[in-house]
Amino acid sequence: MTRSFSTLLLAAWPGLALDFNRNVRPILSDRCFSCHGPDTASRQAGLRLDQEESAKAALRGKRPIVPGDPEGSEVYRRIASDNKAQRMPPAYAGHEKLSAAEIGVLRRWIAEGAPWQGHWAFLAPVRPNIPPLKNTAWVRSPIDAYVLNKLEREGLSPSPEAPKDTLLRRVTLDLTGLPPTPAQVNAFVNDASPDAYEKVVDRLLASPRYAERMAIRWLEAARYADTNGYQSDGQRDMYRWRDWVIDAFHRNMPFDRFTIEQIAGDLLPNATLDQKIASAFHRNHRTNAEGGIVEEEFRVEYVADRVETTATVWLGLTMGCARCHDHKYDPFTQKDFYRLFASFNNVPERGLVYNFGNEEPFLKAPTPEHTRKLAELDRRVREAGQRWASLQDRLDKEQARWEKGLRKAGELEWTISGGRVLHLPLGEARFDGERVVEAGYDVAKFDYQDPFTLAAWIKPESPNGAIVSRAEDYFEGEGYTWFLMDGKLRLHITRRFTDISLRIETVKPILLNQWQHVGVTYDGYRKGAGVKMYVNGERQELKILFDELTYPYAPKEPFRVGAGAGPKHRFRGLIEDVRAYNIALSPEQVSVLPLPETVTELARIPANARSKPQAGKLRFCFLDRFASEEIRSALRDLEQARKERKKYFESIPTVMVMAENATPRDTFVLKRGAYDQPGEKVMPAVPAVLPQLKREWPDNRLGLARWLVDRSNPLTARVTVNRFWQMLFGTGLVKTAEDFGSQGEWPLQADLLDWLAVEFMDSGWNVKGILKTIVTSSTYRQSSRLTPELLAKDPENRLLARGPRLRLSAEMIRDQALAISGLLVEKVGGPSVKPYQPPGLWQELAGGSGYKQDKGEGLYRRSLYTYWKRTVAPPAMITFDSPTRENCIVRETRTNTPLQALNLMNDVTYLEASRKLAERMMIEGGGDPGERIRYAFRLALAREPREREAQVLGRVWEQLRSRYRRDRDAAVKYLSPGESARDESLDPSELAAYASVASLILNLDETVTKE
Amino acid sequence: MERLMTRRYFFGRTATGIGIPALASLLGADNGGLPGLPHFPPKARRIIWLFQSGGPSQMELFDYKPRLKEFAGIDLPESVRMGQRLTGMSATQSSFPIVPSRFSLARHGQSGAWVSELLPQTAGIADELTFIKSMHTEAINHDPAVTYIQTGAQIAGRPSIGAWLSYGLGGETKDLPAFVVMISPGQGGGGQPLYDRLWGSGFLPTRYQGVKFRSVGDPVLYLSNPAGFTSEDRRKYLDALSELNQSKLEEFGDPEIATRIAQYEMAFRMQSSVPELTDLSKEPASIFELYGPDARKPGTFAANCLLARRLAERGVRFIQLFHRDWDHHGQLPQNLPRRCKETDQPAAALIRDLKQRGMLDETLVVWGGEFGRTAYCQGRLTDQEYGRDHHPRCFTMWMAGGGVKSGLTHGETDDYCYNIVRDPVHIHDLQATILHCLGIDHTRLTYKYMGRNFRLTDIHGRVVKEVLA
Repeated sequence: MTRSFSTLLLAAWPGLALDFNRNVRPILSDRCFSCHGPDTASRQAGLRLDQEESAKAALRGKRPIVPGDPEGSEVYRRIASDNKAQRMPPAYAGHEKLSAAEIGVLRRWIAEGAPWQGHWAFLAPVRPNIPPLKNTAWVRSPIDAYVLNKLEREGLSPSPEAPKDTLLRRVTLDLTGLPPTPAQVNAFVNDASPDAYEKVVDRLLASPRYAERMAIRWLEAARYADTNGYQSDGQRDMYRWRDWVIDAFHRNMPFDRFTIEQIAGDLLPNATLDQKIASAFHRNHRTNAEGGIVEEEFRVEYVADRVETTATVWLGLTMGCARCHDHKYDPFTQKDFYRLFASFNNVPERGLVYNFGNEEPFLKAPTPEHTRKLAELDRRVREAGQRWASLQDRLDKEQARWEKGLRKAGELEWTISGGRVLHLPLGEARFDGERVVEAGYDVAKFDYQDPFTLAAWIKPESPNGAIVSRAEDYFEGEGYTWFLMDGKLRLHITRRFTDISLRIETVKPILLNQWQHVGVTYDGYRKGAGVKMYVNGERQELKILFDELTYPYAPKEPFRVGAGAGPKHRFRGLIEDVRAYNIALSPEQVSVLPLPETVTELARIPANARSKPQAGKLRFCFLDRFASEEIRSALRDLEQARKERKKYFESIPTVMVMAENATPRDTFVLKRGAYDQPGEKVMPAVPAVLPQLKREWPDNRLGLARWLVDRSNPLTARVTVNRFWQMLFGTGLVKTAEDFGSQGEWPLQADLLDWLAVEFMDSGWNVKGILKTIVTSSTYRQSSRLTPELLAKDPENRLLARGPRLRLSAEMIRDQALAISGLLVEKVGGPSVKPYQPPGLWQELAGGSGYKQDKGEGLYRRSLYTYWKRTVAPPAMITFDSPTRENCIVRETRTNTPLQALNLMNDVTYLEASRKLAERMMIEGGGDPGERIRYAFRLALAREPREREAQVLGRVWEQLRSRYRRDRDAAVKYLSPGESARDESLDPSELAAYASVASLILNLDETVTKE
Repeated sequence: MERLMTRRYFFGRTATGIGIPALASLLGADNGGLPGLPHFPPKARRIIWLFQSGGPSQMELFDYKPRLKEFAGIDLPESVRMGQRLTGMSATQSSFPIVPSRFSLARHGQSGAWVSELLPQTAGIADELTFIKSMHTEAINHDPAVTYIQTGAQIAGRPSIGAWLSYGLGGETKDLPAFVVMISPGQGGGGQPLYDRLWGSGFLPTRYQGVKFRSVGDPVLYLSNPAGFTSEDRRKYLDALSELNQSKLEEFGDPEIATRIAQYEMAFRMQSSVPELTDLSKEPASIFELYGPDARKPGTFAANCLLARRLAERGVRFIQLFHRDWDHHGQLPQNLPRRCKETDQPAAALIRDLKQRGMLDETLVVWGGEFGRTAYCQGRLTDQEYGRDHHPRCFTMWMAGGGVKSGLTHGETDDYCYNIVRDPVHIHDLQATILHCLGIDHTRLTYKYMGRNFRLTDIHGRVVKEVLA
């Protein structure tokens, strides 16, 4: 496509001078480089055509290219040859012959002396001169000068400026993703001041809607989503990063800082929370939780994704092509790829991740509101703690008095009962290696995020045997099993034994044939580090055997005593006093459990002679049952305050961020890109053909980040302004927005691109500034009307003799309908929401409980907040060409299909919007039908309907109104879709007729188009 | 006006570079697809792929391995495994005991093909089928493996095979998409998840993605008019919409508007053609007998097989069924028969039905999953119970109809059903072969993206000439 475009261009405009980068390199690259280019491994005949020296040097007596002498040039001779056996590229390998036009270009180039240029995109842009022009009146900015220069050469003139209402709708959609209101249209149309348009642009750029609009394209580039993206596709929480992006655009963070913080915010000196959150950019890639994967295979995949995404977004380079071998077209070696890889290879992360929730490294990412509330809760804990501390003397006195009384009273026993969900006294039950005691299915049913405590008295006669279990009765069974193995206490929590399991045991064995009290606690945080075991109340040293509890488990079998882990592990000996708690008891609490003495007996021991557990038991008992209300309430308050604080803290979102291993992980070139084929060891670096890292930069990701936005980098500014151009004009100045290499498109408006890039950098990477520069140009303001001449001469509008006319992007189409109908909820940031989606879409692919649609506000937020499940993406977004968010996509594409028509006509989203728009028509739109229809038209299209349009809509309205008058039930049905209430004060037949007209307006080509 | 509405504008590139191949591809107008395709006269006009998601066990179904009984309970010898990587699910297993099939296999038909007692109907059509027992892949987990066989790459981002065909060939009908997907769960709704990317368009324009026909709600998303809005209402509405868009076209001259008008008309046509297609009420009783009682239950594999035939009759190019829940890590003897029961009769019925209508010759039917299963037991091994882990080194698929031989068994595995000993067929080879049957040289169906000409088979793939008719 690229090739044919530049070649066709030359044919269409023979006046154009031949340019190596524009006309010649694309042909050589596309047709020759894969065998005669940078990749040493696949190079044929030792011939290399991507470098001037080798392309012109004699090779085995022949000269590939002889400047000025096509016939003497082997390259020309071979491509033009009629002899199939001689001809290049070789027919036997299935290659097509070069077209006559391509051969003509190469011939002319050689004849003209074969002038060579370095690849344009690898040379730093310099501010180009402004060309001399005839029609200087049209030129508002240098942008226009470059555009006009081309137009004048082609004998074209710019289109007239678009009408004010059209222009306002265009710029409002472009900068905020939403249409202007009728009031805004009126204000602008009636503002005759010379800076009226500029004021509008400033207003739009200052709006939070601008930041949201900018964010969505960035989210797509960053492959942002709410789920992990492989197989079961569990949820993750990254929206605090999205909040950061919106905020950064809103505050107009300079793009260089925007870059550095996202690539390496965590490595900045004294990094702030916000800077760390920014680094989540490179944790947005998909992660795999499928059981059984080879961890390293996928960890490598994540790192490679970071390299490829960074290259695409900032450099416009297809570095992924150099992952398995040297790049076929661009001068990047495989080693270059792995040097970049090294910068991203040092994250303390796993290949097999949690199926649900964030994977390490992550951090708490409180909003200012969270921080404020948390401080408030901390204050309450502190206050309750102070009050509690102030009561300690009194507590001691009260307790001493109570103990005194106890000694005289009858026997009193007490045990810890808070959180106790099961207690089986059993009374020295004997287990003979066969006996099993079952305690039912509804007890002690814990999942992997539930804390628990298990405890019992045991007198084992064998070093192997299960104490308790809630698991399938075999060694690898799903559930939890606590047992003795080789005399050691051992806990298994298993989803699938081989890979989703937690296994941990004591280092020392316990004693046989003696009563011992044993306990185990688990804190519910899915890690072996959260398990403690006790023998006779004393903490035991533990050894973690397996620590991959990444997935929920479901104990399907009853609670058993004396059994678990299969028939070979039946208990032999005595067991009694089996307990389960749904909390993880503290060490102090566990130490109390084994005490044989009753409370009364303990009270009789002199205070200074009591052991710590003994004193603890008395204290716990006293506080639990006998302390004065004042003391007990102070304790309750403290516990409550702590609980609330903990609960709130846990509700604060986390976000996965970048971090560095203390000891860097070695990086190797991976042969053929395979994770298990390491070759040569490499250090972090940037591709050899590009400017190198400066010595003063750190030797890590931060250095790479600084390099990306360094003035010497030839690519980042060009690639970035090109995307801005694409966002406004539909196509970038380099159409291949993702590829600025030799296979990418050479920019016809290279001077314009360079001017924008330099201007962008000179302005301090001012994003709002460069956008304002573009949208205030005469080029942008042109009418988008097509004449037959323009259509014939420049169907793709690459010469820019007219304004852009493009179908709106997926999210704009929906957001616009919400805005026009008045349903839009303009709330910035926060967790993702679940608007309407046809039922069953998740279940039919994955089973489970499926999509739970929101109620209320969540239905009407802007589409960038829509919950994005990667394996089943929101269908309406995909139908309108949204990227799937599975990997980085920067090129905008638009198709035009019947599924889009069905979506806009029949989706509840648009039916409800039509009804609400109809209500606005009837309530706000004036008295008569014509006025009301005009009002809707203005809301949607920012203009008055023409007479014919008003007539057609009026006719439909008449027809449908009489139809719905005849069939009121149909009207009520037609008005029913959507959660919002119908305005009952309006006549349903009338309303239904207006709703149909409203739907029609939402379906107009012009409505879904920016013109 | 007349001039703007000519075919040239319909099928040409437009100002936005989108053009109208939408017409040709999504709804497969008769001349959709790329110029120059097919590359050579095709043997098959369409494909029906009965994808069995999860990885059916080859040993229980087709690949008869009598010696496994001898080896039962013995650890898989290292000389057979040869250091082959295992999934994390069984890599940490302390032993790898061989487990033979609990189900018997017998020879069927004149070809003497081995088929399981669990698949009696399939056995009955054995002479129509080509069995490839030497399929292999590199992926050992579901997501990468299904993505691999569907898109030619293990990592997301490439177009699915159906999208490639839709892009290359278009469809043969104006009223239906060129690429249709239908999904059925195993009994109880379990099984490995599927992902939209398996029929997605990857880097191709989204219009080439598979359109999912659903058994609940609208068969095609948003197909039905809302309650209280009839087809006549829609017609009036569309007439007005069309008139307004038409006047816009006259004023603005953007051919994209002409496309939009056409797309709305096609949407309207789909509103009648799709319900007509999915309405099975006019199928005779004999057909339901053929496909089995499940064919009356929407959303079953049987109903989908019947729909597949109806789609084929109407010119849909690529019809892919996904049946879930073949992933039998444990309790294989209990679960495998259920999947077989759900799929055996309908799959065989589809072949018979296509044949009786004279369509089998021009329809390539493919049956199989993303990988095979291990000869050794995973998890619990008792008399009644065993499971098998994923196995990429060999598995069985069958093909029938347009372009392939009938009554052939191709490829062979060793006595352990672990390695291939003769005629290996990589999934890229399968893809190349399927494309070949449709008249496409797999090395020449390419799309330029990220500076490179991508193709379904990446840089691999060999047409398996041995199975071609």
